[in-house]
Amino acid sequence: MTLRRRPGVEARADHAALAAFPLWAWLAFFVVVPLGLVAWYSLGQKPSLFSPVAVTTPSLDRYAEVLSPVFLTTFWATLRIGVTGTLLCLLVAVPFAYWLAVLVPARRRPLLLALVLVPFWTNFLVRTIGWQVILAKQGLLYEVLSFLHLMGPGDEVGILYTRAAVQLGVVYNYLPLMILPLYVAFERTDPRLREAGRDLGAGRLRTFLTVTLPQAAPGVAAGCLLVFVPLMGDYLTASVLGGADGIMAGQLVAQQFGAANDWALGSAMAFTLMGLVLATVLVVGALGLVGRGMVRRVRRVEPAPRGGAG
Amino acid sequence: MTARPGVRRRAPWGSGARAPWDWTRVLLGGWGVLVLVFLFLPIAVIVGYSFNTGRLLGAFTGFGPDAYVRAFQNATIVGAVRTSLVTGALASLVATVLGTLGGLALARARPGALWASALTALLAVTLVTPEIMDAVSLLPWLVTLGTDGGLVLLNDGLVRLVVAHTSVALATVTFVVRARLAGLDRSLEEAAADLGATPWRRFTQVTLPLAAPAVLAGALLAFTLSLDNTIVSSFVQVPGSTPWPVYVLGSLRTGLRPEVAAVSTVLLALTLAALAGVGWVLRRSAPQAEGETELLRALA
Repeated sequence: MTLRRRPGVEARADHAALAAFPLWAWLAFFVVVPLGLVAWYSLGQKPSLFSPVAVTTPSLDRYAEVLSPVFLTTFWATLRIGVTGTLLCLLVAVPFAYWLAVLVPARRRPLLLALVLVPFWTNFLVRTIGWQVILAKQGLLYEVLSFLHLMGPGDEVGILYTRAAVQLGVVYNYLPLMILPLYVAFERTDPRLREAGRDLGAGRLRTFLTVTLPQAAPGVAAGCLLVFVPLMGDYLTASVLGGADGIMAGQLVAQQFGAANDWALGSAMAFTLMGLVLATVLVVGALGLVGRGMVRRVRRVEPAPRGGAG
Repeated sequence: MTARPGVRRRAPWGSGARAPWDWTRVLLGGWGVLVLVFLFLPIAVIVGYSFNTGRLLGAFTGFGPDAYVRAFQNATIVGAVRTSLVTGALASLVATVLGTLGGLALARARPGALWASALTALLAVTLVTPEIMDAVSLLPWLVTLGTDGGLVLLNDGLVRLVVAHTSVALATVTFVVRARLAGLDRSLEEAAADLGATPWRRFTQVTLPLAAPAVLAGALLAFTLSLDNTIVSSFVQVPGSTPWPVYVLGSLRTGLRPEVAAVSTVLLALTLAALAGVGWVLRRSAPQAEGETELLRALA
């Protein structure tokens, strides 16, 4: 009987590939082909007022159009909101996740973690509308400030429909995506290493910066990626809070597929946006690796962080 | 040498012991509370303003349950919520079946198998593609298939939404199931094989029960992803089967009413109840592995 085990295991490997077939088929048909189609569209043009796209002679003209100053300013503004938003999320989430994963007693952690997740289970759009209610000219913030006599009857809260409102909105909307991987990363760090650092005379801040944070580096990278990528493609936050002043690239794309009905230009915009996201991630990733290498070289006397911070 | 006793006095981090006046701890705790307040602020505002008796959401005129009554009498709103729930259930079902099979396959693939790496890469691409990209690529394709390709089924609003939401949720379900199965011992399956169980019995009686918490978590995630999906839905939807978030998006232009807040509050309460229920089931069925932490691991 035992002799028949080998073929059995072989057959199971085949079963594995077979079980993934429906997933393959779905992804090919509803993800890969549509993306290819849009890539093809981006090489075309808008033939007439009522027709969204035609590719008669493939050219890169639409990309040239996207890179014209009119649209390029929006792409740069989007990048600025994306990078600033990611950094702000990191700044808010690092102390919070550290507190949650290290300082809060273990039995209270699941409850607090569930609280962090609650905004996740509320509709994205509805959460953003909550901010609109708060930030409106005569909204909740105005009411509170007037109640505290910090604002007179003639004053208005001028935050809504500006870039600042969009910035606040994206930090709010993507913060849980930064907190979660950081929490997991801090939770995995070894408390004995922290104690060792402190026994060797390092202060709290120094222990955190040289022992704990390098251990949590994969969490930092994952969090930044999880925040930055969807943030760059976001157009709901800007639609609700940004007005004409805080427009983002996602809205440009949506406009071309909506009111403007120019699928060629819209497709080129979407790919330009993806290219911008990818380029930023690659550049920042490369800089991070170089920076880490330099830090390690300078501090070669110290033992390498456990678990490999890659 | 005065610094040395100072070092001794400090409580070790994470031990739960508390030094009398530990300012770092106090500051970090204060920050933690602030962040939680920040996270809850707009949600509390929505819940609070759902009891606004006025006609416009932002202008609070009085306190009362009028918006709830009006929302349940509004056929468009009830229809939109029903569309969302049906789409969520169907998309979650399809994504869970495909994702469970895929996750199983990935977890059991020979190390270094080419198809497994390719599939993982493809799923990772769908995970990092901005949602607007999914939306603008799916719309022309569905239109092409439905009108030029003669697949009339894809002209149906509900089918379109299910297809779109399934595509968005597939990667998450697959990775959650794979994470669970990759961490499990294969010896149980091998034992079943040695005892003469057919592949089908092995799958239904050994593998599936082992994967159950992750399958459940994946299904739940897919459902909430579907319920939350606004961008792709607003592109592919057909008038007549508008899901709830797209209705809200539309009412941004026509004027937000307290009904929107009322329905959102009900949905939030239902979601939290469902989550609490699932959490309870998970804790009972697998006390050693908490579903939540597993989800986080999969996300990270």
